[in-house]
Amino acid sequence: MKKYVCLGVILLFILITQFLHAQEIHQSSDLYDKTIQFFSFKEKSVRVVITGIVLMGCGCGLMGGFVVTRKLSLFGDTLSHAVLPGVAVGFIWSQSKNSVGIIIGAMIAGFIGVFLISLIRKTTRIHLDSALGLVLSGLYAIGICLLTRIQKLDYGNQSGIDHYLFGQIAGLSSADTMIIGLSTILTALFILILYKEMLITGFDQAFASSIGLPIDLLQYILWTLLAFTVITSLQIVGIILVSALLIIPAATSSLITQRMGSLLICSALFGIIAGLSGCYLSFLGNHLPTGPLIVLSSTSIFLFVLFLNPKNGVLFEKLNFMKNKQKVLIENTLKAIYQELEKKDFTQDQISLNELAKRRRRSVAEVQKETDILVKKEYIHIFKKKSPKLPGESTICLTPSGWSEACRIVRNHRLWELYLTNQAQYAPDHVHEDAEKIEHILGNETVRQIEKILSNPRKDPHGKLIPSQFDIDRGYINLNSK
Amino acid sequence: MKPFFPTFDYTDVFIAPWATTNDFIWNGQIILMGFLVSLSCGLIGTFIVLRKLALMGDAISHSILPGLVAGIIIFQSKAIVPMFIGACFAGLFCSFCIEWLQTKTPLKPDAALGLTFTSFFALGVLAVSQMGHHIHIDAECLLYGEIGMIPLLENISVGSVSFGPYPIGIMVIISIIIILMLIIFYRQLLVTSFDQALSISLGFPLKKIHYALMTLLALTIVSAFEAVGVILVVAMLVFPSTTASFFFTRIPAILIFTFPLSIIYSVGGFFLARWMDCSIAGAMVVVAVLCFLSAWIITARMNFFSNLLPSKN
Amino acid sequence: MNHIQVPLEIHDLTISYSKRPVLYGIDLTINEGSLVGVIGPNGAGKSTLIKSIMGVTKPDGGWIKIFGQSGKRAYRRISYVPQREMVDWDFPVSVMDVVLMGRYGHVGWFKRIRPKDRTVAKECLEKVNMLPFADRQIGKLSGGQQQRVFLARALAQESDLYLMDEPFSGVDAMTENSIVNLLQELRSSGKTIVVVHHDLSNAKEYFEELVLLNMRLIAHGKTKDVFTKDLLQKTYGGKLTILSEIADQSVKNSVN
Repeated sequence: MKKYVCLGVILLFILITQFLHAQEIHQSSDLYDKTIQFFSFKEKSVRVVITGIVLMGCGCGLMGGFVVTRKLSLFGDTLSHAVLPGVAVGFIWSQSKNSVGIIIGAMIAGFIGVFLISLIRKTTRIHLDSALGLVLSGLYAIGICLLTRIQKLDYGNQSGIDHYLFGQIAGLSSADTMIIGLSTILTALFILILYKEMLITGFDQAFASSIGLPIDLLQYILWTLLAFTVITSLQIVGIILVSALLIIPAATSSLITQRMGSLLICSALFGIIAGLSGCYLSFLGNHLPTGPLIVLSSTSIFLFVLFLNPKNGVLFEKLNFMKNKQKVLIENTLKAIYQELEKKDFTQDQISLNELAKRRRRSVAEVQKETDILVKKEYIHIFKKKSPKLPGESTICLTPSGWSEACRIVRNHRLWELYLTNQAQYAPDHVHEDAEKIEHILGNETVRQIEKILSNPRKDPHGKLIPSQFDIDRGYINLNSK
Repeated sequence: MKPFFPTFDYTDVFIAPWATTNDFIWNGQIILMGFLVSLSCGLIGTFIVLRKLALMGDAISHSILPGLVAGIIIFQSKAIVPMFIGACFAGLFCSFCIEWLQTKTPLKPDAALGLTFTSFFALGVLAVSQMGHHIHIDAECLLYGEIGMIPLLENISVGSVSFGPYPIGIMVIISIIIILMLIIFYRQLLVTSFDQALSISLGFPLKKIHYALMTLLALTIVSAFEAVGVILVVAMLVFPSTTASFFFTRIPAILIFTFPLSIIYSVGGFFLARWMDCSIAGAMVVVAVLCFLSAWIITARMNFFSNLLPSKN
Repeated sequence: MNHIQVPLEIHDLTISYSKRPVLYGIDLTINEGSLVGVIGPNGAGKSTLIKSIMGVTKPDGGWIKIFGQSGKRAYRRISYVPQREMVDWDFPVSVMDVVLMGRYGHVGWFKRIRPKDRTVAKECLEKVNMLPFADRQIGKLSGGQQQRVFLARALAQESDLYLMDEPFSGVDAMTENSIVNLLQELRSSGKTIVVVHHDLSNAKEYFEELVLLNMRLIAHGKTKDVFTKDLLQKTYGGKLTILSEIADQSVKNSVN
């Protein structure tokens, strides 16, 4: 539940920031008009473009889920470069910019690229990253030669090279949108039908083949869909940035969730949002290329999630760190108070700040800060002496909740020490430091386990009493009663 | 309608470029630049390939784009030095971001790489489109270079002697730096690439050497990109040493073999582009591909035949 | 601070990988001229121990001193024989190249390799019977031969402390014999050798001193004293589950 609320907040935040950013690009009155124009879907061209982009964002997000989790991110990049010669050949063959010929050519080129990579790895000692670099740049170069050659010829409606390299949204037709839609629908169907199988093959190939799954077939289908997604997205974002859309939305989702199902849904969602915002911003501005804006939108979403994600965002980790530090401080102070009281055999129920400072090996001023926190938490009462010039003379005593908390801490500490010395061959002088760390996180169940293993001990390795639950509930310890 | 493959005219391809003195100088400069790019990228690329950083090279070459624009904006000048500085910073910053993402976040390393450089590149494309035609970077130049235009660029001159277009000058300096670094620091590069533990044992500073190499890589890429564009730079980094390693099993031999390979790439590429009337940089890489394929096939056949012989221990 | 400098002294060493503890509170002192075997189950942290002594992995807690020193000066006194799986055998270097690397520490950053270094390298190769293969690329060797190349390199370094990570794993009988002889020889000349060993069956035979390791130091002493059923069970038996769970938790929550 919390996750979805976070998601909602993230979405809202992104929409707002994009909106504000958009305002910088254009005049406000114009902005309003243009926004209405954009979202009212009145113009057909706008409708077509938005539909295409939304479909593409969804398709790339879904595909990206597999690419990122199977560590194929750079394969996607290589694939998108490798299709270039196929585009060129397809263009020569069909002699028009938009055609099935180009798509087929690109698919073939893509497959040749993937085939070459595995061939290189099988027959030579070349490592994967170099193999990717070879195929990526080699095929790309062939494509460039072909395309620059084409430019010199008199083909009727030539494609500008930058259309494939950077994407050209203006030329997006309904037919193109339908093809993109087809690709996305196929991907979605694939996921729905073969979800379990893909999950297993992604996780443990050996197991998958042992239960009879056709891993090679599934692999080929995945590659085909990937190639198809890449090629259909080329028109919108261009070759270089296609891989961005495969990687970034899925990478963002991987920060939030580890479960494949929610990862796929989040990636698709992030892909759609990035597509929409990119498109919207490009619509508002003049001469703003859509592809980069879509990519940058997805990057902003990523950065936002990276830093502000409640689960493990960088900022939240720092906050947790602070919180933990305080918790440790409180518990250590309570423990020190207990130990001072114990020193007096529990005959008194108050100790002075001076005594606490000595045990904590700190100055009185520092200890005062600690006790102030304890007062806030209602663990102690402070009785100030009449002469404020001697703050060390003030005394503190534990409240009932303070007492039970202090006992709990001391008990954990001493149990753990005992466990270490008895069971884990710990040297006695080490025990104290480590227990200091462990005691703050021992859960109740573990404590019971340890008590059981040690047969409910009463004394720790140093001979001190281990407070039991009975002592805690009773509210005091009577050392003479044993 | 012109045919796709033009008829091969021997005179036109091989003789005509050298007809007049001006032509000779012009085309000679192009081939020289190609050779220098190939050489410097090939030499430093040998260690990039050994350290499995080929894709980092790809990332840096894409990420320099926003740096170029930033250099122009910050220094308010279209001179090469600001662009150079901006590009180098962007490249190094990108590699730094990638490493941060790889180590300090739960992201997988390949996703971190892909995410970072594509974002940088997108930012760069956006920035370039906003600058309009104020800068002489256009899409084509970026993506496959304008090596054919190199002779047109400003010359470096000392006094009244002009040494040639400035990209060639820069490339010469970079090549010399790379060669010197490789000779002086060969052992350090060798050990840090091969065995991390031994490097620590010998007191070689792993991180410093890595960053020095990345800086040199960024400098090389920035100097070369104007000639061959961002993507073909990667080819120049990986093809020479991978081709050489089919024939040679020791690093010094691989490094030396980069020289003849560079000559083949630049000369072969020039003539191929002359015939096909296409991008020269693209042609250079196509030649590199052909060399690689030949080497691959030759060694495969050699292995095939040697496997037929009685095996020796 | 007036004690003899022992080759290896470790105190309260704690290391965790991505928040899972691998080594926890290790105390260990190895005296000069010892030949010590380190045994424990897989994942017990044996390789991690070696790597932390080498300086490859930084500890989260505790310290390590080599001949009374730590840091760069300490590392120079160690020779390291890595696990075979960890080496990049495709790297284009010959056998001689690898052994010469061991001499780099004696040569200094900018000076050339001297004839003396080549002689030492050849002698070391001779000692492990690998001189005929000096010009071969390291990938084109058998498992035992590969192991011997790195032994030769370790010898060429002429250090005082040798760390070896599973040198006996996957080698032929002849190589195994030559390694054992080499170790004995090194020990007699006063060197200190710590060997991570994978095979319980011959641990007793090869080592007079053993370290039993499983995230914690279970035992360290003469083989006849520590190679007992009880201690071995503690090492390999997996009874310290609460400890590992808690250690897990503590590192996860620890202020880092």
